[in-house]
Amino acid sequence: METLLANCVEKNLNQFMFTNAIFLSERLFAQFPSEVNLQLLARCYLSNSQAYSAYYILKGSKTSQSRYLFALSCLNLDLLGEAEAALSPSEEYVEEVPGGAAGHYLLGLIYRYAGRKKSSIQQFKMALSFDPLCWEAYRELCSLGAAEEASTVFGNAASQLLQKTCVAQRIHCSERAFIDQLTNSDKASKDTSLWQTEHDPGENQQDLKTKQLGADILPVTDKKLNSSSHRNGWDTNTPSPVLPQVLDAPPPLLYKNMRRPTMEGLMSVHGESRNKFVSEEVSAEVPEESGRRRSARIAAKRKIPMLQSYGKDSHWLHLSPSESNCVPSLPSMIGKCRIQSSKEATTSGQSRSDSGSSVDNEENFNPSESSSDPFKVISGISGVLNLLKLLGDGHRHLLMYNCQEALLVYQKLSQKQYNTHWVLLQVGKAYFELQDYFKADSVFTLAHQMSPYALEGMDTYSTVLYHLKEEMRLGYLAKELISIDRLSPESWCALGNCHSLRKDHETALKMFQRAIQLNERFTYAHTLCGHEYAALEAFEDAERCYRRALSIDTRHYNAWYGLGMTYLHQEKYEFAQHQFQQALRINPRSSVIMCYSGIALHESKRNDEALKMMEKAIIADARNPLPKYYKANILISLGDYHKAKKVLEELKDCAPQESSVHGLLGKIYKELKLYEKAVLHFGIALDLNPPPSDAVKIKAYMEKLTLPNELEMEEDL
Amino acid sequence: MATESSESEEEGKIRGGNDKLIVDDDLREMSKNAAWSVSSSKPGNGVNTLRDDNLETYWQSDGLQPHLINIQFQKKVKLQLVVLYVDFKLDESYTPSKISIRAGDGFHNLKEIKSVELVKPTGWVCVSLSGTDPREFFVNTFMLQIAILSNHLNGRDTHIRQIKVYGPRPNPIPRQPFHFTSMEFLTYSTLR
Repeated sequence: METLLANCVEKNLNQFMFTNAIFLSERLFAQFPSEVNLQLLARCYLSNSQAYSAYYILKGSKTSQSRYLFALSCLNLDLLGEAEAALSPSEEYVEEVPGGAAGHYLLGLIYRYAGRKKSSIQQFKMALSFDPLCWEAYRELCSLGAAEEASTVFGNAASQLLQKTCVAQRIHCSERAFIDQLTNSDKASKDTSLWQTEHDPGENQQDLKTKQLGADILPVTDKKLNSSSHRNGWDTNTPSPVLPQVLDAPPPLLYKNMRRPTMEGLMSVHGESRNKFVSEEVSAEVPEESGRRRSARIAAKRKIPMLQSYGKDSHWLHLSPSESNCVPSLPSMIGKCRIQSSKEATTSGQSRSDSGSSVDNEENFNPSESSSDPFKVISGISGVLNLLKLLGDGHRHLLMYNCQEALLVYQKLSQKQYNTHWVLLQVGKAYFELQDYFKADSVFTLAHQMSPYALEGMDTYSTVLYHLKEEMRLGYLAKELISIDRLSPESWCALGNCHSLRKDHETALKMFQRAIQLNERFTYAHTLCGHEYAALEAFEDAERCYRRALSIDTRHYNAWYGLGMTYLHQEKYEFAQHQFQQALRINPRSSVIMCYSGIALHESKRNDEALKMMEKAIIADARNPLPKYYKANILISLGDYHKAKKVLEELKDCAPQESSVHGLLGKIYKELKLYEKAVLHFGIALDLNPPPSDAVKIKAYMEKLTLPNELEMEEDL
Repeated sequence: MATESSESEEEGKIRGGNDKLIVDDDLREMSKNAAWSVSSSKPGNGVNTLRDDNLETYWQSDGLQPHLINIQFQKKVKLQLVVLYVDFKLDESYTPSKISIRAGDGFHNLKEIKSVELVKPTGWVCVSLSGTDPREFFVNTFMLQIAILSNHLNGRDTHIRQIKVYGPRPNPIPRQPFHFTSMEFLTYSTLR
């Protein structure tokens, strides 16, 4: 009964029938209360987004797997302290962090949310050392500004690690095949008896299941495994790089746990069985390996839950291809373990190669040929690692705001990889940071067309449209995003930007606040809120918002910039200058920030530094006309009219429609007493449609110009 | 400063929502930074009804004419437009007729800058504060006083449902002499 229920639950989980799974697993747990069943129940709850239920049932559990799931639930409920306590090694628990790479990643996240930057960096690095394909850990390191070069992280060490794990997995597969053969040889045996033949006979079914699913294979065995081959301990499940949602993490762990029992089972079975491992089975296994890698890579790219990639792994459990494809979950493998008595060895061999080929359709790595194993493995691994190297490099450069380098790196990707939403998003962001809004617009449009359902990065896209003042397109985008997902903060950010463009700052503020309600940790929403408050001149509220944003992500230089602007508006120039310096430390190439820094310096009467800053800005971005304008302004205030005039004359050609340039020129000529030229420039300035307040000013200047002349003439008369 | 001849009926925009007034983009409401007070009011119809964005509630005065609404700012501000919501159909003899707008540094030196007469208004009435001289586009002042000199049908007290005051938007970039107008300049002028 227990087996049946457990299998059923697994099947339900795989087919996303969560309520059914919960019901059945509750019955299962009531009938056979065991740690394994408890974990199964917790998994059901977590799959059904009931983290609180999982939290309550797992509270106090000691086994590693339970602790991992418990930490997951805690994180979901924002109970960082308990989550950390569950995951951190201490005397009561095993020395290791449960979950291997996934556990370290989770711990890293916890530390990050708690603001403990160093610890979180350490944890992410450990996660990567256990599992080089843990891309999210690398991503977090990039955003913390602590990522190493991609070539070192995804380099030789990683390659070797992956190779070792491949070997271990191959051995597993071979054993599986062997066990299958055993099964086929005595078909009459049932599940339990099957298991009993391979494991110690004395164990009852309960223990078997414990071994299968429970990470609590008793610390003793843990240590045994660890001592034997650390690499085969927790990190065997390298294809678990992606943890798109923290909730999806359990399956990978179970995968690992499943391997461990088999390893342990192996060890308990004496050496003779190993010798009989059929190597020919191994070759068919390799395609799965590389297939898994590919699927893992694709999953990493598309952020598909790892479930799918594991589904493909289940091949080596002799499932028919169709079945494995539609049951994309690791637990399914475990379930299949139990019912494998029904499978034929021959079909298994076939199915493996078939499924191998089905997996391969996506990439051109020719796995279906059972050619030399090590070579295939290595080439598969190197393929994945090379890809990750490129992506990692590009991402790191982008987050360090070396946008040109990032763009170059991304250009090196293959067409297939480049034309995916994620990569295009990165490229678009790079252009956005370079203030090249036209190119950013085209890239983002392409990305959006490619995957209209993907909302990540659409907030940046909406900001690009805001800068380009494309009201229609921005409105359309916002509407589209809201209709796709009303509960994503990006959609509300886009809508907020739309209102802000129409100068309806109060409504924009409401939209951004909604975005914050949906996800407290969405830094950009906080910054945008701050911008709106600043536009409404509510500077204290703006400051509060910016500081919230910075508490979540210190490297969000927009928030530093925003703070600087509020201080500038309030005429607190020293503070403003400090904030701009912080922003520049993070993004040293932003000419806009340099301009404002220069303005703040000028107002603090540090004019030499101000001029130097403007020069830097001019060099940083040749297309930006503003540093020259500000430089001219500073020169005017210093009385150096001729230099200012020269600067403005060249500026005039760059931006012929800009009335402020002519306004300034008029002022200069007035000071130089060249009244005709002054009048000329004021006239042009007025023609270029400045806003009424400026028009009034310019007219006033013109009046003052003519008056001295009239006075002179009158005197003459 | 001569009294202008009667302002004709202003068509109010009856639709609700934010944009019921059509005001230029380059104007923004200044009233939030101001202290509002009135010369007299009936209990329950106080000065807050002028600012509550609710056209159902109204201020009712309770004293001798002229009835005064005082708007005081903390610093000198540029103002361009005053908008009132009044409705003859609802308020009849309480509807203001002659209105004088004065500006100055305080109560001691207010000077009339505008005077209008309303004839059966029903809705938002816009009163521009610019003088005839193009130089006097804005009024730069600490204080604004709206005086109701007389009502329709010689009523004693007056009802006003809402008042808004508008001025120019400040330069988004602080400490710059001019606004930017061209796309090239505007794209680089801010980060977001």
